[in-house]
Order: sequence, then structure tokens, then C-alpha cells
Amino acid sequence: MQGREILAEFARILSDPASVIRDDAVREPVKIIGHLMADVPEELVHAAGAHPFGIVLYDGTDLNRADAHLQTWACSPVRCAFGMALTGKLDFLDGLIVPVICDTTRTVYTLWKKVRPFNFTEAFLLPRQLYRPSARNYLLGEMGRLKARLEQFTDRRITARDLYRSIRLYNRNRALLRCLYDFHVRHPEVLGNRSVYDVIRASFLIPKEVHSDLVARLISALEQEAAGLKKKKEKPRVRVFVSGKLGEPPVLMDVLDQAGAVCVGDDLCTGSRYIAGDAAENGDPYVALADRQLDRLPAAFFANKQDRRDFMIKKVRETKANGVIFLHLKFCEPENYDYPYLEESLRAAGIPALRLETEVGNVSLGQIRTRVGAFVEMLEEGGGR
Amino acid sequence: MTAPFRSAGLLKEIMAGYYAKGEEAKARGIPVAWVTAVFPVEIIYAAGLFPYYPENFGALAAARKVAEKLSAAAEARGYYADLCGYARCGLGDAYAKEHPVGEILKPDLVLACNTQCGSLQKWFEGAGRFYRAPYFLLDAPFLEGASTALIKRYFVDQIEEMIDFIEVYTDRQFDFDRLGEVLFLANEACRLWNEILDTAALSPAPFGFFDACFHMAPIVTLRGTQAAVEYYRELKKELEERVEKKVYAVPGERFKLYWDHIPVWPRLRWFSDLFARHGALVAVSQYTHSWAHRFDLERPLESLAENYTEAFVNRGFEVRVQLKIDLMMRYGVDGFVLFSNRSCKPTSFGLYDKRRIISERTGLPGIVFEADMADQRYFAEEQIGEKFRVFFDHLKTRTGKV
Repeated sequence: MQGREILAEFARILSDPASVIRDDAVREPVKIIGHLMADVPEELVHAAGAHPFGIVLYDGTDLNRADAHLQTWACSPVRCAFGMALTGKLDFLDGLIVPVICDTTRTVYTLWKKVRPFNFTEAFLLPRQLYRPSARNYLLGEMGRLKARLEQFTDRRITARDLYRSIRLYNRNRALLRCLYDFHVRHPEVLGNRSVYDVIRASFLIPKEVHSDLVARLISALEQEAAGLKKKKEKPRVRVFVSGKLGEPPVLMDVLDQAGAVCVGDDLCTGSRYIAGDAAENGDPYVALADRQLDRLPAAFFANKQDRRDFMIKKVRETKANGVIFLHLKFCEPENYDYPYLEESLRAAGIPALRLETEVGNVSLGQIRTRVGAFVEMLEEGGGR
Repeated sequence: MTAPFRSAGLLKEIMAGYYAKGEEAKARGIPVAWVTAVFPVEIIYAAGLFPYYPENFGALAAARKVAEKLSAAAEARGYYADLCGYARCGLGDAYAKEHPVGEILKPDLVLACNTQCGSLQKWFEGAGRFYRAPYFLLDAPFLEGASTALIKRYFVDQIEEMIDFIEVYTDRQFDFDRLGEVLFLANEACRLWNEILDTAALSPAPFGFFDACFHMAPIVTLRGTQAAVEYYRELKKELEERVEKKVYAVPGERFKLYWDHIPVWPRLRWFSDLFARHGALVAVSQYTHSWAHRFDLERPLESLAENYTEAFVNRGFEVRVQLKIDLMMRYGVDGFVLFSNRSCKPTSFGLYDKRRIISERTGLPGIVFEADMADQRYFAEEQIGEKFRVFFDHLKTRTGKV
């Protein structure tokens, strides 16, 4: 298959993931357990014989459907996901896991469970400080709790062997996605921002075996395509690092493509934060998963091991990014509290930055296009250096 | 509002004493530790540090109607106006050139507990960076139902880590005997405070929610000290006298109401007048009942962990509905008011369904109104006034008390 055809297959998956899972489920019926962003240990869900389904596709038309239950000043991804559940669009799920990472997830989890419960509705109560020994002990205990709940629901014992099989499967998928991302950075003219982030998003939806197979084929097809390209003098693209919780709405990546910018790194939960860092494939599998969690890329909702500023500046230098674009989801408090500090630190380091305020299903694209265009132009001229 | 309390003079005196001690701590090199309202401050008192409550600073700025002014300085730095109003006051003060309510006391240590919310966690983290003060987060996982051994253990482990952190910082050994004394005093103050709150259940009552908001400073700030115990003894005595002399909080009290949760500080007077006009006493709120701690001196750290993780704001939907209903029943209210507070997602999200469910279960009428505890830009006076007018009409018809 050609690269284009495989990308078309990913587009089909993203346009109707439920049907793809249904087809798959016909062959081997499994329980489908949805989870909100971010940081639910999918390996554990998978090892219980269930299919973890990341809720990363938001139907903007359902943004207001939860208004009778939830104030409009909750962030749009949570309003929208809850709205989709209320309209029945998530009825194909057997269960839901909400990672409690902020005030909105903390309160909406328990509200959702009251108003529209699934057969299995659980919270994953992550430690919010990750830098002290107590966090690791607690996280191990919390994973044990979630494991027991999953076992109860799926009526199946999770053995260490099962869990290792899942860990290997997920590690392989991340390795392939990192490889694809690396290709994208080298060849943005072959694989643009929108495409690479779409492939990552699809990874939340379909079985990893299927996804990894597609990605492996995509990489080899694209490598061939790139090798066959005539070396024409193309204007080098401006390199940007993208920071935020989610790459929402996905059309923003098209805007970056059109503006002639290439994402060379990010800390998005639907991007590098998902594909960076593997779990160890030896020792206690729960310790492996806990350590992976504690060592993930620093995020606003945690008191992290590594300062976000240090991480970001280091990444910008490593990836030779020309600037940083913050995608600020309206009403996302943790991101907002970090912004002034990060902006100030970047400025002190001579790294230009742009902040875009975004919402699921509701952005004024014209304005964003203008601002991104102006920013990219400024970077092209070596602004801020 | 109620006729002035004699104790108000004493309150002023001991709070002035508290703030003077803060300045003195700075002068004498005693570390100033910022803490959150729901935080095991008993550890801080026992360690001989000076605890400072930036939330009080926010409430003060809000009550003096200058929150928007301080917020502007934070907003200019990239903090949006939809963040917590207290946080914007605190962060704004760091950047502001003018200090309409005096300057916030600068921290040497910044200690946050996230039982209340993630806003405090992030605000304090930012403040720690700004003031270059070490930051420590006490993390309280969400409790959907009853607490678990795992969560208690995690919190006790963290208190121990915090004691280590303080010992290293002060280069002094933590004094567990002193902790016992502090816990004993905190128990006393909490017991008195709750007895005082309970007088609002009398009909008519000498004391209500708006009085509690005025008299709550010591239970928040000086819990664990002799001063708080003495203050609430005096106040309790005064309330007993008032009952004898028939001096009531709302003259001609006809209704009792439940209020959830915090006051709209810049409109405290507006609301207390509104309720008084209708002969309604706001008798109770989960907010002022937050300081109902009871510590077990035999197992101090475990007991601190239970008290500070199990606060209502950290509980699941059903537990919180039940806690509200329990208070409504205990105080015999005729209706309830739920405040959807822009500053506070943890207390606000879920209120629409809670209103419906509480009414279904208790038969009591209730409303949800939207505003902000600090920022008047979110206060739509006419709409809110109209909402309450309809509510009171309904209440009068239902109860037949005109």
C-alpha cells in the first residue's frame, strides 16, 4: 500500500472509530472501556482483556448538551465528552475511567457517574505530586485498586504474564510512533503536522496490534516515497514546539501546515506526552507502569519531578525549535497557572512564544490563522533571536 | 446584620495581634509558612513557624471591593479572569504597584494542601517560584465514598515527609509533645465554634451565617492556639446572654435558610440586607462548618490525615448531597440557596443536579444562582435580585409565613 492509502485508512478510523471497533469486536467480543485524557494505564485495561478507548474525538455539536448539568465555564473537552455521553454517542462503551487530575475531572467524574453511569465507571486517582517517595508507594496501591476493579468487571484475573504482554505491545506501538514522529520532523513535506498527530490520535482508538501494523507499513511506505523525491530546493520550514494539554481542535495542525511551520516537539497529552517513555519489560510490571507514570513528560496538573520550564527550554534547544506555541484550552486552570512563568522563562531564554486560546468545536479560525501566520513570518525573519 | 457584638472588640484585638506577630516573625527571622485553609496547620504551630493564610488576604480584598484592581495586575501577566478570584488577588498583589489592602506577607515556605482544590496547588506553586520560597504539596486524593487505608497511609506518609522538610529547613527537631498540646487547643476551639454555630438552630436565633463569616477568622487562622479558645469562649458567653435578653440575629425571624457555600464577599451586606428584609435567617452553610475537626491525641498523624482529607469539598456527589441535607435537617431550614461560584469549580460543578435531588428528597425549595465570591464583574445584580424575589414569593406561599 502507498503512504496515501494508509493515511486514508487512518482518516476512515478517525471519522468513525466506533464502527472500526465494532467490526473488530464481532470477531472477538471484548468490553470497551473509555477513558478521558490523560494518564490512565491502558496496559492494565488491556491486560484485563478489555479494549481501552481514549476519548479524543470530540463532536463539537454536543458541546452544549451537558448544560443542564454542568456550568459552561467547565473546559470544552470535558463538557463535550459528557455531552456526547448524554446524547448516546458513547453508548458503545461498556465502561469509563476518569483520571482525576484537576478540579473539573474530580467533580465531573462523580456527577457523570450519578447522571449517566456506565456499567463500570471508575476514577483513577493519580498522585498529584510525583517527586517524593510517598507518591510511588501510593500509585502502586492505586494501580492495585484499579486492577481489582477491572478484574471484577471483566471477570478475569490479570496475571503478570498478561500484563507483560500488554506492556510489550504498548511499548512497541510507542516506539513506532516515535519513529514516525521522527520521520515527520525530517520530512514534513511528506508527512505534515495534521497527519502525524492524526495517526497518534488514532492510536487511542483502535487495537494496538492493528495500529502498530498500519504505522509500520506507513513508515516504510513514506521512507520509500521520501527517498524517491527529487532533491528540490524547498524553503526550510519554521520549527515550532507546541505546548498544552490537547492538540485541539485538530484543524490547528492544518493551520500550522499551511503557515509553513513544522512541529518538532510538544508536550501534548495527544502527542509526545503519550508516545514518550516506555515501561520496563522486566521486574515487577506494576512497578514498571508506576515508574513510567512518574517519569512522564512534566505536565501542568502535577507537581512534577522535572520543572516544566527546564524541560521545555531543553527540548526547544535539542529540537532546534525557532519558537513555542501554547495551545491554551479555555478554562483549563492548570495550564493557565503555568503560562506566565513559562512565558517569562522563554522570554529570558530568548525564545519567542505565541499563545492561542482554543476550544473544542468553537474557534475563530480566521483570527488564529492570522496570528499563526504573523508568528511564523516573524520566526522566519529570525525574530526574537 | 445583627447588632454589633461586644466580642468584636476582642476579635479586632486578637487578629491585630496575629498580624503583628507575622511582621515580628519577619523581623526576628522566624520562618513564615504560607498555608491553605484546609491544611494541618497544627504541624506548623507545633514547629514554631508562623502560618499565614493568603486566602484570607483574598477574602479581605474581595470584601473591600478591590479584587478587580489586584486581579488586573495578574491579568496583565497572562492569568485569565476566569481563574480563582483569591488566587488572582494573591498573584496580583505580587505584581501590583498599589496595595489597597496592604501587602501580602511574603513567604519563606509555601505549603499547599489540595483537599480544597487544584487552584491552591497551582497558585501556591506559582507563588513559591515568584518569592523563591520552597514549595511543598500535601496531596489529598479524591474520596468518592468512605476513606481508604491506602489514602490515609499516603497522607500520613506525606505529613511525615513534611515534618522532615521542616526539620531540615529549621534545623530543629520536631516536637511531638507540643503537637499534642496544639491538637488539644484545636479541638477546644473547634468544639466551641460548632456550639456557637449550633445556636443558629434556635428559633429565633441569636446568630447566623453572616455573623459566622464575621467571627470565623480565629478558627481559620488561630486554630491550635489559646487565643482562639479564649475568643470563642467569650463569644459563646455573649450569645448565651443574647438568648436570655432576646437579642436575635434577624428581628422577626420567619424563615431559616441553608446557604451553599462561601459568601459573595463584596456583596455580604447586600445579601444580609436582602435576607433580613424577608425575615430570613441564613442559619447554616457547609463553609463555616468546615472547621469541625476532632483530633485523636492518641494517634495524631492518622487523625490529622483523616480530618484534612475528608473535608466535604473532597467528597463524591452522593456524600455531599447527604452532608447538605443533614445540615438542613439539623437546623430546620425552610429552603436553600446554592451559590454557583465562578471562582470555585469544586463547590459549584454538580449544583444543578444537587438542587433537584435535594428538593426531591426533602421537599424543600431551593435555587442556584451564579456569581463570584470576589470579582464583582460576575455579579448581575438585577438578575440575581429577580431570582431571589421569585424564590421568596414561592417560600412565602409554600410555608404560609407571610
